[in-house]
Amino acid sequence: MDEERYEELAGDIAVERSISLPADPDSVWEHLTDGQLVGDWMEGDVEIDARPGGRITMTPEEGQVVWGTVEEIVPGRRLQWSWRTDEGLPTQVEIELEPTEEGTDLTVRETLLPWKTSGLPPFWVDPPYPRAFLSAAA
Amino acid sequence: MRPHEVFAALADPTRLEMLTRLARGGPATATELSSALPISRQAVAKHLAALSAAGLVERHPAGREVRYSFEPGRLGDVVRWAEDVGDTWDRRLDRLSRSIDG
Repeated sequence: MDEERYEELAGDIAVERSISLPADPDSVWEHLTDGQLVGDWMEGDVEIDARPGGRITMTPEEGQVVWGTVEEIVPGRRLQWSWRTDEGLPTQVEIELEPTEEGTDLTVRETLLPWKTSGLPPFWVDPPYPRAFLSAAA
Repeated sequence: MRPHEVFAALADPTRLEMLTRLARGGPATATELSSALPISRQAVAKHLAALSAAGLVERHPAGREVRYSFEPGRLGDVVRWAEDVGDTWDRRLDRLSRSIDG
């Protein structure tokens, strides 16, 4: 297992969660794009410039600042950003909204990103997981 | 087992979720797993076969049932990452749901 192999495989490792919300997609959307409202459920101070290329920054109650770039916005439907977690791992977060009779189904998917192609400035902060990935198949 | 086969076995949110459940809750049967997940017992069995082939779970026949346990090997960190991230989103979505309700 070499670095190149990790780069190739990282995008396949993802965590996914879904929830049904009792509000229409436009109301949910507000909670995803208004920094103040986002901060309420993300447990930290959040600044989000909700447009492609905009900056997203989260200062959690504990731990390091997490920051990244908004990549895709489809109002009321889809929000995507990439950021570097407090462990230094680049990941991509995709949130999709689907209208239902009762309100909105929200699905979030967080995917490990390759280091080199993540589009985030390169810096190496002793990441625990990529090293584990690399050694896993050494 | 070639490395890319191990990663291919992990590269599915449902399989990764099954592994985190086995890692956290201890050994379980396909029936027990399917009752905790929104997929059929047949689908669970299929995923377990893939995980077993990749050496990520071990089969323990017990009477007519088979229990499966998580075998972390050196991939435990991948599962730990998935646990951390999954827990964080569970917590966030719970808060989001409550703030929309309120």
